[in-house]
This record gives sequence, structure tokens and C-alpha cells, in this order.
Amino acid sequence: MSARSSLAFQEPSPLRGLVWLSARECLRVTKLWTQTVLASVISSALFILVFGLSLGSRIHEIEGFPYQEFIVPGLIAMAMAQAAYSNNSSSIFQARSDRYINDVLAAPMRAWQMNLGLSIGGVFRALLIGILLAAIALPLTGAPVVQPAALLVATLLLVALFGALGVVVGIYAETFDHHTFVNNIVILPLTFLGGVFYSVNVLPSPWHELSHANPLFYVVSTMRYGFLGVGDVASWLAFLVTAAMAAAMIAWSQYLFTSGRRLKP
Amino acid sequence: MAQAGQAPALSIAGLTKRYDDGTVALRKLDLEIPAGEFFGLLGPNGAGKTTLINAVCNLVRITAGQISVFGHPAASLEARRLIGAAEQEPNLDRFLTVREALLYHGGYFGLTRIESLKRAEEMIDVFDLRDKADVRAPKLSGGMRRRLLLARALLHEPRLVILDEPTAGVDIELRHELWRYIRRLHSTGTTILLTTHYLEEAETLCEDIALIGDGAIVARDSAAGLKRRFDALSLEDVYLKTVARHRRDLEEVAAL
Repeated sequence: MSARSSLAFQEPSPLRGLVWLSARECLRVTKLWTQTVLASVISSALFILVFGLSLGSRIHEIEGFPYQEFIVPGLIAMAMAQAAYSNNSSSIFQARSDRYINDVLAAPMRAWQMNLGLSIGGVFRALLIGILLAAIALPLTGAPVVQPAALLVATLLLVALFGALGVVVGIYAETFDHHTFVNNIVILPLTFLGGVFYSVNVLPSPWHELSHANPLFYVVSTMRYGFLGVGDVASWLAFLVTAAMAAAMIAWSQYLFTSGRRLKP
Repeated sequence: MAQAGQAPALSIAGLTKRYDDGTVALRKLDLEIPAGEFFGLLGPNGAGKTTLINAVCNLVRITAGQISVFGHPAASLEARRLIGAAEQEPNLDRFLTVREALLYHGGYFGLTRIESLKRAEEMIDVFDLRDKADVRAPKLSGGMRRRLLLARALLHEPRLVILDEPTAGVDIELRHELWRYIRRLHSTGTTILLTTHYLEEAETLCEDIALIGDGAIVARDSAAGLKRRFDALSLEDVYLKTVARHRRDLEEVAAL
């Protein structure tokens, strides 16, 4: 047995672990591509086809845009949010459940590197889905990209927010049901009620005011501003609220890795 | 054989671990393992062996005490690079093949792709995993998983290898094969910390043995030294005279 290799190892780079952990998370996405990417792209594309192209001709313009164009930003935002969240929560939950997360926790990596590395899979998956959906939906519906820089910022905030939420839920979840509960009972309804299919401005009181208390409303608004240049709320407010939520969620996930709470008994 | 003049492979002082439910797994435990030693840790279920190992590997939050590995605090990146651990229950990434599991482990521990790939291929040959190199962990037999677990622990060339009951539940043939691997590893100067339920395993392999009971070290010496000290014919007798007696004493104190 050659317990000692003939290799003279170089001094390990502190960032190498982060790169490998990120690569592992992306590998998981590509290995499971039919579940992680294809299913999400198909279901969101069907929403665009059914709601946009089939029913769109019977619905008046909203905020100056045909209905099929109006719903594209919200649907892409919803698909990306679910992908970033689901990927990270399920990946971390499985790693905790099978205890192979110990191989990461014992490795010479800093807490922020573990947090970032385990978040990258969700970001990668969400961006892949967002790009594919945009490639399908924009030519199909004619939806424009009016503010590309704002769209880039909105996308980064969205994947950071929901990726970090996935990490937090993956760390807290005791069963796989907890992971699906947050997706089905929290993210999905709040996204629908956040103005994916309609403008919140047309809602009567008190639904109009209540919609402003929905955090997902601001996320949808940032994406709509990036694509269409319009939103249900001032763009600066939408970006500010989304950035604050993303910062809070990242701080929470970082606290869990730094303190070891829930990750280490 | 212990290596003189080097910092101890493992130095533990006053280690206490109280879990959130109030269970005290380790009570002000002190332990020092010289570099290069083959050290055995014996104790019944619940004695604190796995908690002790997890504390050294940064897998539990310790309540009090200090741990250092070759002079580095156990939580430091330097110390973590020096430790390779194979847990009691196989904890293998279900999405990775044998080759990928080794390759990515090397990456987590700071190796370049070329270094990690070369080392992974070496470990695949050493542990006779060539035929299963492209098979994912869940499809491996129990014996193959044990081999992969050991290969993964050794991949980054740790100076302190921690093996938590590596032969638990394996057949005799594989047990002897694993013993050969571990002996050869020790002969290269690697410090080994082995926990086991099998007393003959500890007697056969370990230069120094500590008996742990209720979170504290109750006796420590070579197998021969322990037998002499406790006037026992076998390590089993020593075990009964130390760990079991320690437990009875604690129960009597608790009853008072």
C-alpha cells in the first residue's frame, strides 16, 4: 500500500475548497438535469403559452403592455426563485440527512466558503432556467428588455435571496416535508399574490395595500422593471426592499455556518 | 512508534461536551497522543468515543476545553488539513461515483485537480476499487463502502488518521484486509486513533490503549501494561475491572 504518495503537494490554496464545493453543487444540478432544469422550464413555458398566448388576446393591456408580455417577467422570476430555493434546501437537507456534509464541515474551509459553495448550485440552476426561459419567452411573446442593467441586478438579488433562503431551510429542515412546505405554502402563493399574473394597482382596497406587505411583490417588481421598465411600485423601493431581504437572509445563513448551530450538535 | 521531539499528534485538555438536551458526553477529558503512535480508544456504547472524535474533527460544538492537532488549534485550517477521518457509519455523497467522491474530497482539502486525480487513482488501486470506480456510492456493497470511506480519509495524506470502528459489521476476511491497510499506513509514520468494540483488535493493533467510560478516560497503557496493572489475564478482564466498575460506581453515586 502506498500510504504516502510520490506527489509533493503544493501549499493548498484557501479558495480551492470553495471552487470544488461549488463545482460539486453544479455537478449535482447537471446530473439531475431532467428534474432540476427541464421540468421547471417546461412548466413555466406552458404557463406562458396557456396564460399568455391563449388567454392573452382576451385580456386588455396592462401597464401599456399586451398580457402575454406583461406576465413574462413574473413567470421567469417565479421559476428562478423556486429553483434557487429548492436546489439549495434539498441539496443541504440530503447532505445533512446522509451526513456527507461532514466531509465539508471537517474540510479546511472557512464558514463563508462553505456557505457560498453550498449556495452556488441554486444560483447556477436558477440562472440556467432564467436564461432558457428568456430564450423561449422573449421571441415567442415579443417581451422587451428595457433596462438590462437593472435586470441583471434584479436577477442577482433574486438568486441571492432565494438561494440563501434555501440554505437556511435546508439547515433547519427535520424532514423533506419541511422543505416542500416552504415552497408550496409560502413561496408559491406569495409569488402568485405578488402580481405575477396581474398588476397590483388594479386591486381594490384593502387587497392593494395588503399586497405591499407581501415581500415577493417587490421581487416581482424588480424583475418587471428590468424587462418592461415599469412596475407596481417605485423601482428604487422595490430594489431596496429586495436587497434588504437578500442581505438579511445571507446574514442568517452565514450565522448558521459561523456558529455551527443546527449543523453541528 | 511515537516520534520524539514532535508536537503531540493530538492534545486535549479539559474537554467537556454537553448536548442541547443536557446529556453530558465528555467530562473534562484530558488526552495526549504522541506523533506516530497507534492509539486505541475502547469503551461501551455511549461512553463518548464518537463525540470525542467528532470534537477533534470539528463536527460538534464543544462546551469547554482545548484541542490541538500537531500544535495547531483543532478548529484552524492547518489542523483540519492534518486530519483524515473515517466515520463509523458510511457517509458517502449519494450523487458522486467512487472516483468523483475521492476527487472532490481532495479538492475540499485543498489539492489541485491534477494532484487529487492522481491520488484518487492511487487510492482506487490500493483499496481494490477499480471495478467500481464509476459506480455511485448507494450502489456499492457494505464492504466496498468501507473501503471507499477509508480511501477518502487517506486521500489528502493526513498525519493523524481517525478511524471510528472501521471494522464494525464487516466480515472476517475484510476485517483482516483492513487491518493490513491500517498497519501499513502506520508503518509510514502516520498517527492512528482507532476506536473499536473488538478488544482483540485493539490488542493486536494498538501500541497504547485508553479505556473511556462515561465521558472520561478511566485507564491508559499498553495492552500488556493494562493487564499487569489490573492483574488481569485478558484485555476483557481489564475492561470489566475499569469501564464496568467505573459505571457501577457512578450509578451508586447517583443512587445516593
